[in-house]
This record gives sequence, C-alpha cells and structure tokens, in this order.
Amino acid sequence: MVLTPDFDSRPIISFQHVWKTYPTGTEALRDINLVVPEGDFLFLVGPSGAGKSTLVRLLIREEKPTKGKIFVEGIELGRMKRRQLPHYRRKVGLVFQDFKLLPNLTIYENVAFALRVLGEPDDLVQSRVADALDTVGLSGKELTYPANLSGGEQQRVAIARALVHAPRFIIADEPTGNLDPATAWEIMQLFLRINARGATVVMATHNREIVDLLRRRVVAIDAGQIARDDRSGRYHDEVTKPQIRAQ
Amino acid sequence: MMKLRNLKFALNSAWQSFWRNLAVSLAAVLSITLILILAGVNLLVGHAFSQVVDGFRLKVSEISINVADGTPLQAIYDFQDQLKADPRVASVKFITKEQALLDFQADPNNAVFAQQIDGNPLDAKLEVRVFELKDVAAIDLLGRRWAGVDPTDPTNYQGDFVNRMLELSSWLGLAGILLMAILVVVSVVIVMNTIRTAVYHRRKEIEVMKLVGATEWFVRGPFVIEGIMTGLIAAAIALSLLVIAYQPAVERFHSDLVFIPLSYDPTFISSLARDLLIGGALLGALGSYIGVRRYVRI
Repeated sequence: MVLTPDFDSRPIISFQHVWKTYPTGTEALRDINLVVPEGDFLFLVGPSGAGKSTLVRLLIREEKPTKGKIFVEGIELGRMKRRQLPHYRRKVGLVFQDFKLLPNLTIYENVAFALRVLGEPDDLVQSRVADALDTVGLSGKELTYPANLSGGEQQRVAIARALVHAPRFIIADEPTGNLDPATAWEIMQLFLRINARGATVVMATHNREIVDLLRRRVVAIDAGQIARDDRSGRYHDEVTKPQIRAQ
Repeated sequence: MMKLRNLKFALNSAWQSFWRNLAVSLAAVLSITLILILAGVNLLVGHAFSQVVDGFRLKVSEISINVADGTPLQAIYDFQDQLKADPRVASVKFITKEQALLDFQADPNNAVFAQQIDGNPLDAKLEVRVFELKDVAAIDLLGRRWAGVDPTDPTNYQGDFVNRMLELSSWLGLAGILLMAILVVVSVVIVMNTIRTAVYHRRKEIEVMKLVGATEWFVRGPFVIEGIMTGLIAAAIALSLLVIAYQPAVERFHSDLVFIPLSYDPTFISSLARDLLIGGALLGALGSYIGVRRYVRI
C-alpha cells in the first residue's frame, strides 16, 4: 500500500531560506527551501559533498543553520534549547549507513537501548522490542550479537531501534550504502512498510536503481542548492541535470 | 520509578565502564590513593601538632603573678577580684607563701634542693588562667603594673615562646591549607583525564544515546558515578593504609623525640575516615563533573 502525502496539509518539516556555512568558510547549503508534508517519502540525492549530509545533520539538530529557519512540527530547530533536544530526537527515528549498533550488546539490548535511555519500564520495553524485531523480521535473533549478523540484518536491527519508540518521522542517511543490491531492496521494502503505516521518511541515498524503481519524491542537491524537486522523480534528471552521477 | 530505573542504569554503566577501562581506572585509583594518603598524613600531622600545641597552650595560658613580701592580704584579694571580673580571665587562684613552699617540697624533682633551703624564699602568687592565649600578654602587663607585684621577679610569662608558638601554629595551618588545595587540584585533573578516556572508549555508545534522545544528564550520570566510585575506592585504600601505619608511626616518632608530647589517638580515626571518604567522593564527583561538562555534550 502507498500513502499519498497531502501536500496541502501542515508540513512536518519546513526549510525556509536555509544557509549553512562551516567555520572553515565552506558553504555547504545555500538558500534551501523545502517543505515535507506528513506521510511523505522523500529521497535526497546528489553527488558526495553536495550537502545531503549537512541537511540531515541540520534536521537532527547536530548543526544549526547559519541563516534561515528550519521548522519541524511547527517548532523552530534553531531556537530549540539544549535541554529540549533529547525530547525532539525521541520523535525522530535515525538510520545510518554504518548501522551504529553497540557491539557488546545483543540484538535485543541494542533495540531496547533506545527505550532504556528514556527510562521506560521493563514490561513495555519487552513488548515494544518484540514488536519492532517482528516488524523487521528478526524475531528469534534476540540473543545474537551484531558481529554474528549479515550487513542487511544489522541494518534491520538499526531500523528496529529507530522504530521502537514509534517516531513520527524517520531520517535515513545512506541506509543501503553498505549493502548488496538484493539486501538493499529488502531494506527499502521495510522503509516502504514503515511509510505506509504513516511515518514520514527522509532518505539521503546514492542508490540510483532504487530511486528510479520506486518513483517517489526526489530532491536533488547540487553544490549546496536544491537543483530539482520532483514529486515522482528519478535519480537523474535526464533533460536538465545529466551530470549528477552516483559516486 | 523512572528516576530509580535511570539510577540503576547509571550505576550499571559506571560499574561496567570501570571494569572495561580497568587499566585507566586502576591508574586513577592509585593516583588518587597516593593523593589521599598525602591528604591523610597532612590531617594526621595537623591533628598531632594541634595535640602538642594544645598541651603547650594549656601550659602557657596560665601565668603566675608573684606577690611581693609584705603586701597586705586585702590588696591581694582586691587584685584577685579585679582579675576575676576581667572577661579574658578563666580562673584566678591565690597561692600563699606557705602553700607555695609545700607545693615545691611535694615535687619529687625538687627533693634534694628542698632539703637544702632555709626558711621560705618563695613568693606568694596569683595563678591566672586566661581563655585565649593571645590575652596572656595583656594580663601579664596588668600584673606587672600592680602595686603588690614582686618587682624582682614579677611573673613567669615567656612572651617570645608564646608568640613563636602562635606564629608557628598559624603558618602550619596555612601550609596545610595550601597543600590541601594543591592536592585537590591535582586529583580533580586526574579524575578529569580518567573521564576523558572513559568518554573516548564509550564514544559510540554516547553517540547512540544522543541519537535515541537520551538527556544530557542521562549520558553524563554514569561518568559522574564512575568518578565518585574511583574517589571512594581510593579513599578506602588510603584509609586502610593510614590506619595500619598510624600507631607504629606515632610510636616510632615518640621514641625518637621523647620531649614532644605526641600520642596515638584512636578517636581521630573515625573523623579521618569520614574526611577521607567524603573528600574522595567529592573529589571524584568534582573531577568527573568538570570532565563531563567539558567532554560530553549532546
């Protein structure tokens, strides 16, 4: 099932004339204007160094914009106080290329970790972790350690951890970057299912085949600017931007 | 309930981190132990010195004002009343010439000399004890100006000695405070560095905690507990070593320097234990608090 995002509804994410210049003088983003409605599935594409990761870092408030405003669910991230940050991050599910699993914890403990830091009671942790592992198809592997799993399975654990506190939206930075095509496709199916349940997904990717196959919203970033924003796009814009290539 | 779960998590993490970075943890414990031993020795020496000073203080806070022969008894009583009314004076005791002689003869150290004296060469005297050592000089002056004082030997006040004792006492106190301050700074730096290493070892875990929405103090808490744990373990080791060494050290010192009235004081051990354990915990907490504020930001 595919949910069609309502582009007229209140946006869950909104970038308004956002600029980001690092202290070294590197201009990573220039005048970004972007609206993501609730339930959207958005691919951020572009060559390495184009500004995708900076955009993701701004979204999880690891960085603040130099100019402009970013609103998430009506809250301006730049004005958010440090003590409010954890509460904001609990609404977001994060998935990275390198999985970011803790090697000394079992699969169960890795997923439960996201709830333990919130001080959730044991019974709730148990049921939520079981649900999340079931969603990603890893029931029965609770006691396994990450080192004993394949790359795809490790990414599933990371997704389960991102889902376990039922976030409103998921930010994924190159989630299939370390995976073979078949596994990458399985992981994408998982993201589609999560999106179908109502979660908004913003995914930075270099995976051309998947972007072209899914034909979802594509925002192409080039040299820190939005080069293209297609509601049902492809990795490359054959007409105007054939120079954007996956690295 | 949630706080209790967080505390349990923090205690577990701190314990695990302590063992996981055992080499660094042990190096920190040993360094803090050495520092706390120095601090403990400082406290013990301070206590011993104050025992000695107190002994001297008791002796020198009493002066004798010698009464000239032939002073009317009423004049002595009047002066005794005047002294008793002085707020600086704790007590005044009148010793008659006869009593002074009896006291002199009763002292076994004077046995040979007492047999040789003829008549009573001793003065009657007023033994005055003051509350504060610093007031002895003023009372001495009062005695010397009194009309009934023996002009050849007015009092037994040793001004220089008392002043030197007071000066030495305040200098030693100052040196003790300075040493403690240096030790505090050194231990805080050691704990900070231990925490920095622990933060480095657990950077992945910290990153994940940050990403899943852990609060800043949820992330920092285990490090502060680890710091307190390091301080407490070091304090316990330092205390054990000091308790074992205290009595033999005092006995050795006493046998070498008999004239200094230093004694083993078992009651001081409980206050030493309290000071070292609280001190160790506070040093650990302070070092790790500064450390996490510097190295753990979300």
